[in-house]
Order: sequence, then C-alpha cells, then structure tokens
Amino acid sequence: MSNLKHKYAAIGAAASLLGALGAPTVAFADGHALSTYGPFPVTLQDYTGSKKNSVSYTGQIARHVLHDSLKKLAGNGDGGANAASLEAEMMAYYGGSDKNKTIIAPADKGNFNIKQGTVNEISSGKNLSGKTYKGLIAGWPGQMTGPEVLTSMIKRAAKTSGGFDVNTGYNYPQLISKFAMGAVFYNQAVDNYLDEKLAADNKPNGKPYKDGAHYTGKEHVWDEAFGYWGAAAHSLNLSAKDNYDVAKMKNVTAADANGDGMIDLKSEMVFAHAYYASSFDKGGKTDYLSTITQAFVDGRSLITSAGGENLSDAERAELVGYASVIGSNWEKVIAESVFKYAGSVYKDIDKLKEQMASNSDTSKTFATYCKHWGELKGFAMAIQSGKSNLGETAVKMNRLIGFGPILMNASQVSGVDSMGNFMKDEAISWDEYQMHMLKVQKLMVDAFGIDARSNDQIAKMADLADKLGDSNSAEND
Amino acid sequence: MQPFEFIVSIFENFLDPKKRVFIGYLFAALIIAFFWLIFYKKFTLNHAIRKLFDQKVFLSKSSKADFSVFFINRIFTLFVSPLLLTQLVVATSIFNLLLLVDWADWSFGLVLSKPTIVAAFTFAVFMLDDFTKYIVHRWMHRWPALWALHKVHHSAEHLTPITIYRTHPLEGIVFSLRSAVSQGLVIAIFFYFFGNSVDLLTVIGVNILVFSFNVAGSNLRHSHIGIQYWGWLEYVLISPAQHQLHHSIAEEHYDKNFGATLALWDWLFGSLHHSVDTDILVLGIKDKDVSDHQSLYGLYIVPLIQFGAGIMKMVNGVKNKMFIAVKYTGNWRKFP
Repeated sequence: MSNLKHKYAAIGAAASLLGALGAPTVAFADGHALSTYGPFPVTLQDYTGSKKNSVSYTGQIARHVLHDSLKKLAGNGDGGANAASLEAEMMAYYGGSDKNKTIIAPADKGNFNIKQGTVNEISSGKNLSGKTYKGLIAGWPGQMTGPEVLTSMIKRAAKTSGGFDVNTGYNYPQLISKFAMGAVFYNQAVDNYLDEKLAADNKPNGKPYKDGAHYTGKEHVWDEAFGYWGAAAHSLNLSAKDNYDVAKMKNVTAADANGDGMIDLKSEMVFAHAYYASSFDKGGKTDYLSTITQAFVDGRSLITSAGGENLSDAERAELVGYASVIGSNWEKVIAESVFKYAGSVYKDIDKLKEQMASNSDTSKTFATYCKHWGELKGFAMAIQSGKSNLGETAVKMNRLIGFGPILMNASQVSGVDSMGNFMKDEAISWDEYQMHMLKVQKLMVDAFGIDARSNDQIAKMADLADKLGDSNSAEND
Repeated sequence: MQPFEFIVSIFENFLDPKKRVFIGYLFAALIIAFFWLIFYKKFTLNHAIRKLFDQKVFLSKSSKADFSVFFINRIFTLFVSPLLLTQLVVATSIFNLLLLVDWADWSFGLVLSKPTIVAAFTFAVFMLDDFTKYIVHRWMHRWPALWALHKVHHSAEHLTPITIYRTHPLEGIVFSLRSAVSQGLVIAIFFYFFGNSVDLLTVIGVNILVFSFNVAGSNLRHSHIGIQYWGWLEYVLISPAQHQLHHSIAEEHYDKNFGATLALWDWLFGSLHHSVDTDILVLGIKDKDVSDHQSLYGLYIVPLIQFGAGIMKMVNGVKNKMFIAVKYTGNWRKFP
C-alpha cells in the first residue's frame, strides 16, 4: 500500500506544482494517508478533453438534497386541506420533476450560507424513486416493495397535521427519512456500487463509465458509492464533533474547506449516515466516520493508481477489501441508530408511565415517543435494505418492534385491511414492550457488535453496581 | 502504580464510607463503646479511656500480625482484584438469560411505586448479601479445605477493627465471588422486573442499611469491648459480644453465631448462641499443627498446604467411592 501512496504522492505533488487543480490541492493528514476525497486526476486513457479532476458524485448529492427536502415537506401537512398539493410536491422530490426544484433543505442558516439554491445547480434529472430498494419490506404492513412503502407513506403524510398521525402513532417525516436513507443510499452503495459493480467485467477501469465521460468505469462506481455515504470531501480533516456540527449547520469554519464563504453542497456538507456516524464517534468509543471515509479515499487512490488500465485481480481484491470495511461499518452505524432509538423509546415509556400514574398530560411525551419510534422503525427497516440477508436477526427485530408504537389506548397497528387501511389490535403491555426494546438493544450488540451504544438501558445496571461498591478486598465480617 | 499512589491506596479504605473501617464508623464505634463503659459498666472516665485504648490489645503479637496481613493483602488485592468476577458481569449475564424467557402476558412497574421499588431493592440487596455471608461463613467452618483458610482469621487472639483484614488471600477471592453473585443476582432480577425505576437508597453513597449497621458500631464486633444486647434483640441482630463468642476457643462455642449483621439466620438454622460476658472468653484456635499463628509463614503458607491437603482428601474420597463402585460392577450384591 505504501508504494501506492508514494506513487500517488508523486502525481499529487506534480498536480499541485502545476496549479492545475485549483485551491484544494491533494492533502496528506500526517504524511501517510490521503485526507481528502479528491480531487483525483483524470486517468482515462486517450482522454483529450480539458477536465483535470475525475471525481464526480453530484447525482448522489442531488439525491441527498431531495431526501432532506422531502423530509422537511413531510411535516407540512395541515390536517387535510393541503393534502393533494402537498402530496404532489412531495412526489416531485421523491419521483423527480421536470422543473428545477428549490432546495428546501439544507437551506441557509445564520452565517451558514449554502452555495446552491436549486436541485439542478447540483445535478439535474435525478430522483429517489428510481434508486429505491425493490425487495420486500418485511417490517412494514402490506407486503410492499421499497418504492411502494415510501409512496404510501408520502400519501399518508400529506393528509396528516405536521406529519404526525395520532391514530397510528406514525411520525412520517422520521419514517420516510430514516427508511429512505437505507432503501436508497445504503442500498445503492453497498448492494450495487460496492457489490456487483466491482466485478471485473462490470464498468471496467479501462473504459469510460459511459460514452463521453472523462472518468473510468471503476472511478465513477467508487465515487457514486462515496456520494451516497454522505461525508464531506474533507471530513477526514475534521473531528467527529466538527463533522457533526457541519451536518447541523453550526460550524461554518469547519464546513467551508475552500474558504470562499459559501458551503458547497457538492463537497463541503455532511449528509445522512455520515452524520449519524459522527454523532456516535463524538462519544469517543467508535470511529465509524473516519474508518469508512478513509477506506473510500484509499480505494479511490488505488483505482487512480491503475492509471486507466483495467484493475488486476490483486487490485480488485484489495478494492473489495475496502468495500467490505465500508459495508460492515456502515451497517454498524445503522445498528447503532436502532440501538439508540430503542433506548429512547424505552425512556419515553418510563416517562409516559409516570405521567399516566399521576394523571398528567401525556400528549407532548406521546408525540416525542412516537417521533423516536419512527426513527427506530425507519432505521430498523433501513438496515434490512442492505446487501446481506439478516435472516433471524431481521425477523426478531421486526417482531420485537412491531408494526406500530403502542398507543395510549393500548392498541397497536397490526396490519392493513383489503382496502389498504391500517388495522389495529390490542397491544402488549407497556412493560412488555419496554422489555422488547431491551431485547432489540441486545440483538444489535449480539448481531453487529456495536460499541457506541447510546442510550444503553442496560448500562443502568452498571450504575447500580457502582453504587453497591466493589467487593474485592479480603474482609472477614 | 507509583509507590506514592500505593501508599494512598492503602489508606483509601479508611476514607471510603463503603468500607467497614471508614474513619466515621470507627469514631462512632468509639463513642458507643465509651458510653457503654461509662453508663453500663460504671467505669470511671480514666478507666474507660485506658480500656478503650488498651495497649495489651492493640500492641499484642496478634494485632501486629493483623497489621502485617492488612498491608500484605493490599498488594495481593492490587494484582488480583482486576481479575475477579464483578457483580456487573454476573448481573449482565443473568439479565441476558432472563431476556431469553418469553412471558406470554404479564405486567409490572405500574403496580409498585418508585419509592416502593427502591426500598425493596435496597432491602433485598442487604438481605441476600447478609444471608449469603452466613452460608459461606458456615461453609468456611464446616469444610476442612475452607477451614484451613478461614483459620487465619480465627487465629487472632485479640480482636481489633483491623482483624477483618486478617484474611487469607484465597479466602478473599471466595468472599469476592460470593458478593459478586449475590449482588449481581439481585440487580439482574430487579432490573428485569422494574427497569429504570430500580435504585439504591443511600446515605453518603452507601446502602442505607449498611450505613446504619456500621454507624451502630459494627466495628465493635472485632474489638475487646463486649457489648451485649437484650436477649430478644440477639435473636435478630448479632451483638458484638455474640461475635466475640464466635471467636472463643471453648468447645461449646464452636460453630455458633455465623451471622454478619443479622442473628436471624443463626436462629433459623440452629447456630445461635446468646452472648456471655466476654472477659471470661479466650479467643483464638486450638491447633496442634501450627506452632506460631502470628508468623507470616503460619498466616500465608500453612493454610495453603492444609487447603491443598483438604482438597486432596476430597478428591481421594470421591476416587475411592468410584473405585468401589467400579470394582463391584456386575456383582452388586457384594457392594458394601
């Protein structure tokens, strides 16, 4: 690998000297590893154009923006009056539109100025629907494919007030967003680009990705996967906290890598699962964001070092190794999210039980609980949209979480009727459901070996053990 | 660990309210003893003070051995304690086992209020801790291999609060396991049924029941101040004099008063003995094998040899039984 690095160092240094690549030149974090994703030189053989940078993942960034905007829209229902127009508007972001749609999110916030205002400024003709996982979504009632689930959620969200349906406990902005991140971004990256598209005869490196492109097949395959991951090109130069603050639009200095005062969504923003990775990593127990992003950078420099030739079997094997690091850590990030929100739901039920016991108003807590449940459910459906069949883990997870949160009248969505309406049935007790949440947490630890474990409800036992004190000094009572 | 840190760690026990020898508890014991001598024993002030700080006790060969064991064991603890099973490991394992159980329909939590749950947990931890201490202590006296270790504690001829540390390191490991299992079990079960509502009722960070016991003069159990309780109370709580009787070499006092805090267990299981005037008691052990119980050889090495012998004896016993069983296989009528 070090040979490669040196080889690339030479290319990078030469490029910098020529000054042809513009402001963000090739950077090395500590003299060993590349620390930014691009720019990478054009290696396509017989290329005669003027392009100097072969990196391109604007289509993925456009989809991040479509997703963020869709999530925002999903909370705009006014209880039915605007249902038709809102549904049409949401579908324009989900299914794509001929018009140049405004970027609803992320939008300017304080001095965090976003460079692009419309989707087409990033990439035109993009949608989410065409890239949604088409397998059966077992965790959602109705035996539907991914696109069918998202479309039905969009239709229902449009009829709600603020995206929240009190009758089912469904918080649509959360359900749509968390599920779409898995069904589109995670699925496309790990189940398509980092899977079959790494095969020797699929998008070979010796040919352009498509006719007229200035990048090779493998270069672009890798770039697209990176785009879906959602890290900023300079994420490796930032701490987990900084990356987190960039995603939250709270740290303009950290975000503005080229210092032009504008945040370029195409390279300077942190989106989706990369953001969730940073949220866990800032706790200090994990380093998902840097592990995954570094694997992307290393894989990309490996492809670049092939100089536009087809990759050798050894090179491809190395690339598949990076893809596997990316895939398994990405899966862990989603499992950490399932773990975290199972803990939130557990805590919310504690609060609900207290309020019920004292006959206090539960409406606010109930809404928070349903929001957390929507995140839990969305991530749980997302993790099943990856490359691997989770088998028993998925079955258990779906059964433990159920089709809906337990409602205040002790009922729960149990399926859909022949008209496609949600049916409800008597639910298990609050206590048993809390136990389910603990089991979900344990399942995530056992199946995916996660370490950050936010909202670890079992950790309370550690506090109790601490309170009781150690027992390791030899004392005779 | 730096030498300085080690020295600090030695004295940590005196500053930790979770420990019996916490300076506050020692002071409380001193006050209680003082009032008992003045008002019950009718000692003069001068006499009481001389009795409390009796040089014959604190500077005895036995007490000096206590101090050596205390220091040497701190070094053992330093190396051994990170390897020991903690109550958290036990609790997590039991809890995970409980999660495997599927209950069809059940309810908890709303039935009991939080204060009730906290009180129940605090009580349960204390009770199971005290009960398992009783059981293990009983085993220490009944099984020859364990007695070989426990004898170290009983070889003290004078009792001081430091005598609790006069414990063979191997015995310390047994105690630590007991504590981990009993506390881990209660934590897991309560957490399983009551989740986040479970908490420990504490005073200065210590289980309120443990704190009460310690403030009420727990350090006097190992002392030369033989405070006796009323007869009826000695069925429930072990008085200092009752525990001192446990250390007596008189045969009629053998295997009596195993309890740590509660006499209840001794009463229930037939090992209770009411206190006597401790001034007439001779403390220690009669053991012809050990000429000097106060030497480090006698305190550390001899118990190991005897422990090994005890284990071998058990192994041989099992072996002999198996031998006989195999020998008479097919000829069972002659089985002795």
